[in-house]
Amino acid sequence: MESLIGFIVFLPAIVCAILGLSWLLGVTLRERTVARMTSLCYSLASIGVLILFISMFRSGQHEIRLPLGNWFEVEEYRFQLLLIVDRLSMPLVALSTVLTGVIGAFSVRYLHRDPGFLRFFILLNLFGFGVLLLFTAGTFDLVIGGWELVGLSSVLLIGFFQFRDDPIRSAIRVFLTYRVCDIGLLTGVAMLHHYLGTAASDSIFTRPWPDGTSVLTGSGATVVGMLFLLGAMGKAAQVPFSGWLPRAMEGPTPSSAIFYGALSIHAGAYLLLRAQPLIQASAIVTTSVIIIGTLTAIHGTMVGRACADAKTSIGYAAMTQLGLIFVEIGLGLKWIALFHITSHAIVRTLQFLRAPSMLHDHHRIHAASGGHLGETGAHYEQLLPVGLRSWLYRLAIEQGHHDTLIERLGTNPISRLSQFFNRLETRWTDIIIGPARTGVGQLTTRTGMRALKRSAMGSINNSMERADV
Amino acid sequence: MSDQLVLPWISLSLMVLIGTAIWSWRQVLAERARNGAIVGMAISFLGLVAAGIEIERGDGRRVYEPLPFLARWCSGDPLNGLLLPLFGGLTLGMVLIAPRRKITPQWVSGLLILTASTLAAYAADNLAIFALAWSTTLIPFLDRRFFSQTEENSVPPAARIILVVSAVMLIAGVVLIAIATPGTSPGASLSMSLPRAGGEPILYAAFAFVLIAIILRKGLFPAHSWVAPSFEQGPLIPLTLLFNGHLGAFAIARLTLPLLPDVSAATLPLLGDLGLLTAAYTALLAISERKPRRLLALLAISQSSFLVAGLESSNLDAMTGALVHWQVVVVATSALTAVYVAIEARLGAPLDGKGFLGLAKGAPRLAVFFAIAGLSLVGLPLTLGFSAEDLLLHGTLETHPLLGFILPIVTALNAFNIIRLFASLFLGKPGSVAPHLSDALPRERWVLTAALLFLIIGGLFPAFFIHLPAKAAHRLTTTAKSAVESVVETVTQP
Repeated sequence: MESLIGFIVFLPAIVCAILGLSWLLGVTLRERTVARMTSLCYSLASIGVLILFISMFRSGQHEIRLPLGNWFEVEEYRFQLLLIVDRLSMPLVALSTVLTGVIGAFSVRYLHRDPGFLRFFILLNLFGFGVLLLFTAGTFDLVIGGWELVGLSSVLLIGFFQFRDDPIRSAIRVFLTYRVCDIGLLTGVAMLHHYLGTAASDSIFTRPWPDGTSVLTGSGATVVGMLFLLGAMGKAAQVPFSGWLPRAMEGPTPSSAIFYGALSIHAGAYLLLRAQPLIQASAIVTTSVIIIGTLTAIHGTMVGRACADAKTSIGYAAMTQLGLIFVEIGLGLKWIALFHITSHAIVRTLQFLRAPSMLHDHHRIHAASGGHLGETGAHYEQLLPVGLRSWLYRLAIEQGHHDTLIERLGTNPISRLSQFFNRLETRWTDIIIGPARTGVGQLTTRTGMRALKRSAMGSINNSMERADV
Repeated sequence: MSDQLVLPWISLSLMVLIGTAIWSWRQVLAERARNGAIVGMAISFLGLVAAGIEIERGDGRRVYEPLPFLARWCSGDPLNGLLLPLFGGLTLGMVLIAPRRKITPQWVSGLLILTASTLAAYAADNLAIFALAWSTTLIPFLDRRFFSQTEENSVPPAARIILVVSAVMLIAGVVLIAIATPGTSPGASLSMSLPRAGGEPILYAAFAFVLIAIILRKGLFPAHSWVAPSFEQGPLIPLTLLFNGHLGAFAIARLTLPLLPDVSAATLPLLGDLGLLTAAYTALLAISERKPRRLLALLAISQSSFLVAGLESSNLDAMTGALVHWQVVVVATSALTAVYVAIEARLGAPLDGKGFLGLAKGAPRLAVFFAIAGLSLVGLPLTLGFSAEDLLLHGTLETHPLLGFILPIVTALNAFNIIRLFASLFLGKPGSVAPHLSDALPRERWVLTAALLFLIIGGLFPAFFIHLPAKAAHRLTTTAKSAVESVVETVTQP
């Protein structure tokens, strides 16, 4: 039964490798073949999860472990490969296989004849592997692996429409936010090794989830907990690292659904749930989680109400719920948080997938009701004084000045510092090395392209063949 | 088990390289010189692989060549057992992939001299030979006939001066070490296996000279300034190979740690801090840098500065991590350079990096090669870079908490920089030429595939790739320890 975990986790990786290698080797796979491989992969994985669940239910087991030995070791340091399915990871693994399969099936039509069809499925399978690895990792070392793969596939899918400038800029922005926050997870895991000599869950917590307490307490728990919180904030789009979420909507809708509605956005909450005993061991971390969650929920709901487009609005709604999930984790309501994650993931996936036809749906219902659709939603803001309401509205339109603040306090100072040192560097190298020679000639992006087109367009391929570049 | 190799693999490989270099110089046709060099390098590479296998089986001991004369000019241990085939394979790959329009017989000859000299420095068991090999790596960059025959400029004069000064400093250091060694024969005074007792001012002076040589050659702050302008103006492939020889880092492992253990213990932490400063400073500089050549140089400096910090840490995990990272930096930065040079050759001039070029439209495979090599450099999971950074991070956190915290920050900055460079070259709205750009040619494809397979297989099965670095790190730490003990014994003897 244990080996079934390995089958479920590594199946998407195998499909990803087959698709990627066939492309590299110049084999053109038909859309139908790609779709069938992906469907088969997630169908088998889902059946595997069902068998696993039935087996655990019947035997009363709370945890199934698959030790795969050490990935590598140097004297006392070991990178353990251990996969676990327990009461926390089981629902999330089930959710991952089913929802990724659903998204795969949806995308076959959505991306039909798109030039990036194969690329999408390669990245979807990479994501599937990453997220399954993340949810089944028995050590925090392995969590990093899954975590980074989820982040990378997310960024590459945001930049899916790779020949437009805006998605690429958004992808770079998201990548930067992810990497900054990943510093927390990386350093946190290294600190676990420093304090305890291990990063395996069963060595850090006294009993399996959700009953265990943390072996690490005091300042150690605070340091590691705060670092994990930093890591979780990035993936879960918590304030002040929430600015990437609206930008992430540049990707195709199915990827928005699986990443920012269903799974990737909940990875941060999962990390905190997995490390919950550690977080509970420090009052500072617990309080921070609650405060950040609350601020995010307020920010998300406020900005979401003023959003004009459907996907961004759903994104902010997801952010609000994530804030509440953080609060639940901070308050120690583990089961409620887990239930919230799973139900929220399903609802958001549906909403994202319906988003492109939302207007159409609205018109249809409007027509069916004879043009008498009432206003929807309870507008709680009507309880506020008019002055405050308009001030809050302006604040919401400006997204709480979030981006401006991040730029003024974060990115701009670093950029200016870099430019300052670059100027110093240029002066310094001009003195010792001498100014850059222009003999070689610089090809500027657009002008160079135009010049090349004028002068050599007709013969560029021939000349390249002659020169055999 | 014997302490001799079955055949003098290293000497034979070097002789083949030197012979090919002389032969290439005399050729008129570049194609002929190139083909001859590929054959010579392939033979030499096989010899070095054979040497590496024998050294690996040698249980971490130092092994010598079965030569009647000069048997002890070189030796093999896990450190150079790893580096010799790695560098040999790297230069072979770079010659295969180099755009043919850049190749002249002299270019090929220069590259062979650079390769032979770097390999001789790795293998040397004699201080004089090490210093000589260090110096001869510079010859092709000092004589304009080697690399400046094509459209590329030569290395800027000041950079050449800095490199020459580094060689002079190393020679001065070696001379002082030889003078300070109370040896009998000249061979013993120049031995690279004999630790020298500290405390004497002359050894401190020698150490200072060696340290300056390392800083200049390795491009550590503030001497990093020669690298980026050289990459910007000079011949990119030979410069990448010169930089990726990492003779500065090698000198730390081979010269300072085992030969001058007590002086090293007192002063090397400074060098580690300098490595850290260089990594952080160049990563910061790269944020506002747009020119791809300069950006590649800054990335190479920043990531390779961790080698110094890791080697200096004297922690087994960090040292192993540094040696694994060495392999990653060498292969990944070379692959990045190769892809960039291929693009430059197609477009006909260096790029300014402003805006997006969208070259993935015409060259998607080159884009994938670039992305994977770049992400491996900054520790992408499922690549060897991930294992290297994991080990480095854990090891350095144990000994230098500050370094341990700064390492992931610098890596995050470098990851951002590499993605920015990738995006500016390959993504965004394509220019009118981009769709007509030819994708990776077969020879480019095979070499880059080999490089990526190294990084990915290394990431999937890291134990195999960590085995030899771990042995080398173990030997380094034990050698340094025993050297300190022997020095203490010498000093305390009445």
